[in-house]
Amino acid sequence: MKAFGDIWRSNLFQKWLMAITGLFLVLFLLGHLSGNLLVFLGQAHINEYAHGLRTMGHGAVLWGARIGLLTFFILHVASAITLSRRNRQARPQKYAKVEARSSTLASRTMLYSGLLLISYVLYHLAHFTWGAVHAQHYAQATFILPSGELVPDVYTMVVKSFSEPLITVLYLLSMVMVGLHLNHAIASAFQTLGVTNRRIVPMVRTIGPALSILIALGFSAVPLAIILGLVKI
Amino acid sequence: MNLRLHIWRQAGPDDMGMLKTYDIANVSEHMSFLEMLDVLNEELIAKGENPVAFDHDCREGICGTCGMVINGRPHGPLARTTACQLHMRTFKDGDEIYIEPWRAKAFPVLRDLVVDRGSFDRIIQKGGFISVNTGNAQDGNTLPIGKPDADRAMDAAACIGCGACVAACPNSSAMLFTAAKIGHLASLPQGQAERSSRALDMVLQMDTEGFGACTNHYECEAACPKGISAEFIAQMNRDFVASALGGKA
Repeated sequence: MKAFGDIWRSNLFQKWLMAITGLFLVLFLLGHLSGNLLVFLGQAHINEYAHGLRTMGHGAVLWGARIGLLTFFILHVASAITLSRRNRQARPQKYAKVEARSSTLASRTMLYSGLLLISYVLYHLAHFTWGAVHAQHYAQATFILPSGELVPDVYTMVVKSFSEPLITVLYLLSMVMVGLHLNHAIASAFQTLGVTNRRIVPMVRTIGPALSILIALGFSAVPLAIILGLVKI
Repeated sequence: MNLRLHIWRQAGPDDMGMLKTYDIANVSEHMSFLEMLDVLNEELIAKGENPVAFDHDCREGICGTCGMVINGRPHGPLARTTACQLHMRTFKDGDEIYIEPWRAKAFPVLRDLVVDRGSFDRIIQKGGFISVNTGNAQDGNTLPIGKPDADRAMDAAACIGCGACVAACPNSSAMLFTAAKIGHLASLPQGQAERSSRALDMVLQMDTEGFGACTNHYECEAACPKGISAEFIAQMNRDFVASALGGKA
């Protein structure tokens, strides 16, 4: 039996951590996306959903999820930083000429798309969760649910925000980054976790990139519909 | 054909090294890549210059001794071909060819195109074997092994340890090499007794040697002259984590 510290510090365990936490973050994205798409069902649906999230278990569920997400996010980023640093050190002298055969734009830019996503997540939280930027749109309006409760009007906040072209463009560019990152990430995680089944592996390598495009398109659908006037107040 | 070669020249491990340009004339398309370098070296010796040092042995593509990055690809442009089995008919008159050594912290350059691959030996020493009491050879067929298992073991055992996987990997990771060795023994009944400790020890030795971590680009698989599948890396990952968490690989 090896010391746990040796295992924890090893490249392979750090890779494994990155894969596991990454897959949980993808699951979160799928949940987040399904919530977002409620915008298309109308103002009452998304406002009721948002209110439900905040009040489920007197807020305990929301805070539990937030703490879990933050932990996964930190582990994911920390392992990425550790491994990227080691990978750079492993080749001190670069080649004069490199001809790539099987790596892709997505796989070679994981660190950069990841770093851009960190800054995007902070901006996104500042916008919709903390109300620190674009505060003029933040939860000013209120909405009366069918049950008679007075709740913040998420729908109006979203529609007003994305009516500004600058916010929409920033958001769409970020979704391109999400798509690029996940294009390599999803199938890669399964390889790292050790899936070798010859029926599953080709499936994962097809579904991974396809899912990345679907997620990016799904998130982009909301601001696009708003800017095109399909969803309005 | 006439060629312009850009070859990495480095006098010793502590020398800075640099690419130097050589023009070579009348190269026959039937020469192997190494024979072309032999001809260049004859010319250099005749001029009183130091010949280009490079590793080679069998020149049949089975020993894993030769290895150089040719135009940005380990062993050159052809798939599943070692540098010694690459022939000059792959190139055309007037081509410029970049020739560099394997680049990795764990493969220090000794001279010109020769690198020290002792790190691979030290990984093997950590478990790339099975422990048996010696004595008379066992009777044949005392340990029946199914065809799929035997095939799988042979696929992994095809690794000649040349280091092209490390050279091709953007992170200089040795995971395809190590995974092939672990996967070879993990496919056979003789390898089961030490399977967990082998996976743990060999993987940790890779880190100690300063190889990078796999980011699943699969450049190693594309560069491997023996076409070893990155599937073995996935199996190694599983064996390592299962053993690390105290289970059985």
